Amino acid sequence: MIRQFGVIDVLFLVSAIRWTVLLTLAAFGGGALIGLLIAVMRVSNVFALRALAICFIQFVQGTPLLVILFVFFFGLPIFGLPVLPWIAATAAFSIYAGAFLGEIWRGALQTIPRTQWEAGSSLGLSFVEQLRWIIIPQAVRIAIPPTVGFLVQLIKNTSLAATIGFVELTREGQMTTASTFQPFTVYITVAFFYFLMCFPLSQWSRTLERKLHVAA
Amino acid sequence: MSLLEISNVTKKYGEVTVLDDVSITVEAGEIIAIIGRSGSGKSTLLRCINGLERVQAGSIVVDGVRVNDPQTDLRKLRQHVGIVFQSYNLFPHYSVARNITLAPTVVKGMPEEKAREIAIDVLRRVGLEDKVDAYPNQLSGGQQQRVAIARSLAMQPKLMLFDEITSALDPELTGEVLKVLEDMARSGMTMALVTHEMGFARRFAARVLFMHQGKVWEEGRASEVLANPRTPEMKTFLSAVLH
Repeated sequence: MIRQFGVIDVLFLVSAIRWTVLLTLAAFGGGALIGLLIAVMRVSNVFALRALAICFIQFVQGTPLLVILFVFFFGLPIFGLPVLPWIAATAAFSIYAGAFLGEIWRGALQTIPRTQWEAGSSLGLSFVEQLRWIIIPQAVRIAIPPTVGFLVQLIKNTSLAATIGFVELTREGQMTTASTFQPFTVYITVAFFYFLMCFPLSQWSRTLERKLHVAA
Repeated sequence: MSLLEISNVTKKYGEVTVLDDVSITVEAGEIIAIIGRSGSGKSTLLRCINGLERVQAGSIVVDGVRVNDPQTDLRKLRQHVGIVFQSYNLFPHYSVARNITLAPTVVKGMPEEKAREIAIDVLRRVGLEDKVDAYPNQLSGGQQQRVAIARSLAMQPKLMLFDEITSALDPELTGEVLKVLEDMARSGMTMALVTHEMGFARRFAARVLFMHQGKVWEEGRASEVLANPRTPEMKTFLSAVLH
């Protein structure tokens, strides 16, 4: 039953956008938790924690995202864990985002001069209190533009989840192509939708960079 | 017992010995001035007293608590030992009031209003009560340094350490900071100052320590040591800073 690419297909694509958005948000949430932990480990005084964080970052950044995705999707069932596409996708993207956000945020934390830490510890604040009250509030403004920039990467990369059968925007495009045989029209439409999501974000990232840079 | 007892302290950065068998005692209410060339170890010594730097040998005891002991809670100790740095190190993202109330509220769990009262009180002591809601970048260097002193005072320390606190200031601004130090001296605060202000040392310090090559080279009553240096090293140093 081959049919023409029509309004109904566009609506299907539009409704698939929410899965792309949800996957992005879930991965960003998970990645933020992991990333914060990694960034803090990287600036801690404990050698073992720093080394562990570096290993994690190097391993994830040195591995294709698609492979990480496959490891979760095909690997975990071997250990008897039933893995659904959305669980595998969320886990894989969280780990990927965690490594990159961890590195971005470590950089931001390290731009705060050593003397700010010293002033805090001299007043009796603990490591965590120094982070919470002195270092992070100052590092946030530096971290925001690259974080928003990374969000754009994350949105685009969620398209890889199509390979494990997670029906987001790209997978919906594949299915539409299968029933209409109009891949060019379909993928142009899909590309346009990704662009609609990413373009405002990257513009916002630039604006933030300019604004926060000038104010600093 | 003395408030501060430093015995046979040695500190090394790798192969370089920064502090070489240093022993000092400071009684409660006493003011000592530590002078010497840059690189003589005087700032390092100060930083060892509140545990910002570790020592390899010897012991540092503040008010009966040994600083260089892994069992010691440095956070507790630091509540009793204030330090003021050359570069002020105020928190740029907080108002003057918040700079001062941060440690009392976070570390001591003091209610916000009580901490603010203390902030206003210590700001009055440094003559800046009208700047309570200003931000550090709106203040002059001298004012920032006075806020840094107030921030330390708010923790009600038993011992105050000053690390060349006027060295980054223009000459016309050092006066206002020294005046604050004089008021503190009169109020009986125990202080250890690393300083190049010989006039201040002569007038207010009970004792002067001259450090050279990581050692306490010369030590004694301020008026005597500064007027009659015994060692050639100190003579050279004094003639360099006094002219």
